[in-house]
Amino acid sequence: MTSSPSPSRKALSKIACNRLQKELSEWQVNPPTGFKHKVTDNLQKWIIEVTGAPGTLYANETYNLQVEFPQHYPMESPQVIFVPPAPLHPHIYSNGHICLDILYDSWSPAMTVSSVCISILSMLSSSPEKQRPTDNDRYVKNCKNGRSPKETRWWFHDDKV
Amino acid sequence: MTEEEVAMEMEAVEAVYGEDCVILDSNPPHLHLHIKPRTAEISSQQFVEAVVRIQASSKYPDEPPRISLIESKGLDDQRQKHLIGIVQEKASQLSSSLMLVELCEEAAERLTIMNHPDGDCPLCLYPLFPEDGWSKEMPFMKLMSCFHCFHCECIIRWWNWLHTQKDTDSKSGDTLHMRRGTSTHEGNSGSGGQSLGNCPVCRKVFHASDIEHVLDLVGAQSSQKDSGLIQGEDEDPLLQSDSENVRRERFEAILKTQEEKGGLVQPKKNISVVPGMYLPPPAPVTASSNEEEAGHSREQGEEAPKEAESETNSSSSTNHRGRGRGRGRGQNVNRRKPNSQDPRKPTRQWVQRAREDDK
Ligand SMILES: [Zn+2]
Ligand SMILES: [Zn+2]
Repeated sequence: MTSSPSPSRKALSKIACNRLQKELSEWQVNPPTGFKHKVTDNLQKWIIEVTGAPGTLYANETYNLQVEFPQHYPMESPQVIFVPPAPLHPHIYSNGHICLDILYDSWSPAMTVSSVCISILSMLSSSPEKQRPTDNDRYVKNCKNGRSPKETRWWFHDDKV
Repeated sequence: MTEEEVAMEMEAVEAVYGEDCVILDSNPPHLHLHIKPRTAEISSQQFVEAVVRIQASSKYPDEPPRISLIESKGLDDQRQKHLIGIVQEKASQLSSSLMLVELCEEAAERLTIMNHPDGDCPLCLYPLFPEDGWSKEMPFMKLMSCFHCFHCECIIRWWNWLHTQKDTDSKSGDTLHMRRGTSTHEGNSGSGGQSLGNCPVCRKVFHASDIEHVLDLVGAQSSQKDSGLIQGEDEDPLLQSDSENVRRERFEAILKTQEEKGGLVQPKKNISVVPGMYLPPPAPVTASSNEEEAGHSREQGEEAPKEAESETNSSSSTNHRGRGRGRGRGQNVNRRKPNSQDPRKPTRQWVQRAREDDK
């Protein structure tokens, strides 16, 4: 699997378009450190190259993020995954899905692609060891047909259970 | 000009500005004028204020008084200079006639025009107040709890989205959209959930009354315009509920007062606002994390099918919670961890569960 199918492949609303054009032009002026937007003519799907920060486990490694925008972005969160091969990380599944709260229920429309990227890099940078989530195999198996991580129920869970 | 005339002018100034005017000397005139935007009867509409000093010499009015800024709030350097510059210019134009009231008026008028925050709207990323005189101007507002500012249109669109989501979600027995520590908690019963929200920037809880004046604005605008369909958004039908009508009436009362005072609160005639947003029912797979459901699972685990439960258990042994750190643009730091508002549950973790297991 190289990519998930789009969330629903509905064209961007006009508001989403305006907002993304603005984000793109700001990105071009001031891209977040460690990231490179691979230019395409597709506003709805960005491929972003990320380079591991110096001094971390992922230094000098590069990976590709795929960011797909739903019709009602930024009300709805973008779908963000690593294009496999994904970095080995306790919160990143081998199919590229990322367990990061702001991508799902903690999303806020005041966040941007740029701020999401910075969060992902900081998640990578703070990793103490290179390993997959313990439930990786089961999860990946369940994601048949390249399902979107937004369809996964990432939910809180009480420790005492 | 006689001393008497100058003295009478000072009396006039005092009469007009009352407490907002502190007279330090009546001849030659020297005064401090405290100005607020004339639209700012409602504190939520006030973004700037200033104290201007007008100090005349004994040659007044042949020699125009000196104008300076003693104090200001919400004005960047550029706007401070602009404000003073304009009043100074007015003073030179009027030299040799008595001008104090006119200068004070000019200052108040200018400040009123400047009654806007700096920077971009966090939702659409376009300037809250386009200074280029070219871009479309849109009304904006601030949240009283945190002073974050948004275009009215943008925050209302977001607010409606939240509630549309929530409605659809609860109808389908699916997820509740708002997060823990927000209205799902405090206002979970019935329409009570409408009353609280979280600032999109800092997640600080605000009350619906905080944005009520904006709902008013939106209501008034849609009543003035026949069409609620604007901006070419084909999915935006007009919002026309009873509560909108009530809001509109209240707004029009305010509007009347503002007009009498020459206020700017009056909505721009040519501006279009999207009052609501029709959202198609979410695709059955649109699921975000679900506090309510998580709650159920916590209580009984009844709704969690077996496989999900076993996943839960296996996952709970890992620290499985991703955290975004160092969010961009310097904003939004510390606003994650919605659960941190709930001290009873300090150690929750992320667990995922496959969607097809749900029903
Ligand atoms: Zn905006
Ligand atoms: Zn705020």
